[in-house]
Amino acid sequence: MICTGCSCLCDDIAIRDGKILNACRKGVKLFNVKRAIPMVNSKPSSFEEAIDRAKRIVSTANKLVVFGLDTIPCEAQQKAIELAEAKNAAIDDCSSFCLGDFVELILKGELPTATLEEVRDNAYVIVYWGSNPYQSLPRHMSRFTYYPRSGKRQRGYEEDRYLVVVDVRLSETAKLAKKGGKFIMGNDADVIDSFLKALNGRAGKYPEVAAIIKEMQKADFNVIFGGLGLKYGLRGDYSRFIEMVEKLNEFTRVVFIPAGFHANMRGFNELMYRKTGVVNAYDFSSNERLTFSEAVKKADAALIIGSNPAKSLPSWIAKKLAQIDTIIVDPSQSLTSKIAKVVIPTAISGIDQGGTMVRSDGVSVELKPIREGVTDAEVLSLLMEVV
Amino acid sequence: MSFAFKLLTKERKLEECKPLYEPKYAAQRKKLEEMLKVVEKATETGLIVDEEKCVGCANCVVSCPVHAEKDPYGAGMGRGVGLPDPILRIEDGVVRVVNLSLCRRYGENRTLCVVCRENCPNDAISFLED
Repeated sequence: MICTGCSCLCDDIAIRDGKILNACRKGVKLFNVKRAIPMVNSKPSSFEEAIDRAKRIVSTANKLVVFGLDTIPCEAQQKAIELAEAKNAAIDDCSSFCLGDFVELILKGELPTATLEEVRDNAYVIVYWGSNPYQSLPRHMSRFTYYPRSGKRQRGYEEDRYLVVVDVRLSETAKLAKKGGKFIMGNDADVIDSFLKALNGRAGKYPEVAAIIKEMQKADFNVIFGGLGLKYGLRGDYSRFIEMVEKLNEFTRVVFIPAGFHANMRGFNELMYRKTGVVNAYDFSSNERLTFSEAVKKADAALIIGSNPAKSLPSWIAKKLAQIDTIIVDPSQSLTSKIAKVVIPTAISGIDQGGTMVRSDGVSVELKPIREGVTDAEVLSLLMEVV
Repeated sequence: MSFAFKLLTKERKLEECKPLYEPKYAAQRKKLEEMLKVVEKATETGLIVDEEKCVGCANCVVSCPVHAEKDPYGAGMGRGVGLPDPILRIEDGVVRVVNLSLCRRYGENRTLCVVCRENCPNDAISFLED
């Protein structure tokens, strides 16, 4: 089966003798979630009652905001976008404060990219920039990047890989880089500046980048994985980073892949990009960009799907969600399901429901569920009946 | 020294040292018993897994040279280990020791291989000699 614990979408998960094999802790957590039950106004109800109440909220809402969507299959995401468009609602997912910007740069062709299989078979220098895959994507390094012996890299991490970590702290991944590569602790803009200066034959604040460029020139395929640290370090201005990647590609091949987000964030980004030309945060009433945190201020109803914003976003958003008519469509009990007016439990992607998801590198993966449950697409189809 | 090393590898037991059980060495015996408590948790090769620290990243499973040699298209390539009885396997989100007889640290021709420990980013794997 396919694990939907993170954007690696590992396809080698097996269940044998009651044990879950090959899945990391993030994947196993999916099997142990405390399942939600249908609720209306914090009281248990039947599934039909919850759907009826949700339909009433959706049909009477003047300013609806749709949020979440990153852990559900593309088929359900498509229906959510259709619902938002038909209701002139605002729609957003976690990517507006996660790595949506990097996905947009890739979809616009401003950064060269590759698949994780190409990385596994070819990559020599592997840079994790502002990312700690040990925590965010536990199997990333063992499955796709540093450890596999595959394709041109049969000698594995001992001789055929060179690990570089750029971070503001000595993360678990950085500890590995200190053993068999380079770890640079510093400001992202300064490190980019050092790369650009080194490429022009001058020394910057971090002279060790020259050794990294030298290693990159030994191979015809290198990769930079950008995480949230890089995004927030650059504060929305990616021009110098793009310039650095372009300049590096004059000397050798360097591709970029975003690292560290929910299972199907990229799927939503791609669907939105095809529909609106932007990857997230869109208001269908004004046809302008609008993030969830802005949209929720004026909203009178919220449809949250597969997410727990009351826990992960600032407390004023949780308070606002508790005041307005909030519907949560999610398999698990959460802080958001406690404050929502309506709780509609659905299946867990990959375990109880199938569909398609898009991995962090843009490869589509077909889920192979082991059971059948109420899918998010079915619930959204029912809600569409009143739009 | 040889006896002490064999205590660590579980080849000899503390009870085999008769003088230690004389009343005058009671304090030393107590101290030794406390020191050897960690050996009870260790496997035959001295490998100790701290399941609290492990997140199931499988770096140890994939970097293991025995897995790479015996399962080149499974664990060697980064996939879940395909051997029926591998040395290590990720079960329920953490690494478990399944079959130590394959480990390079096991048997008469053992070597002091520490690849799994060296590639664990969170120090979840340790050896008795540490």
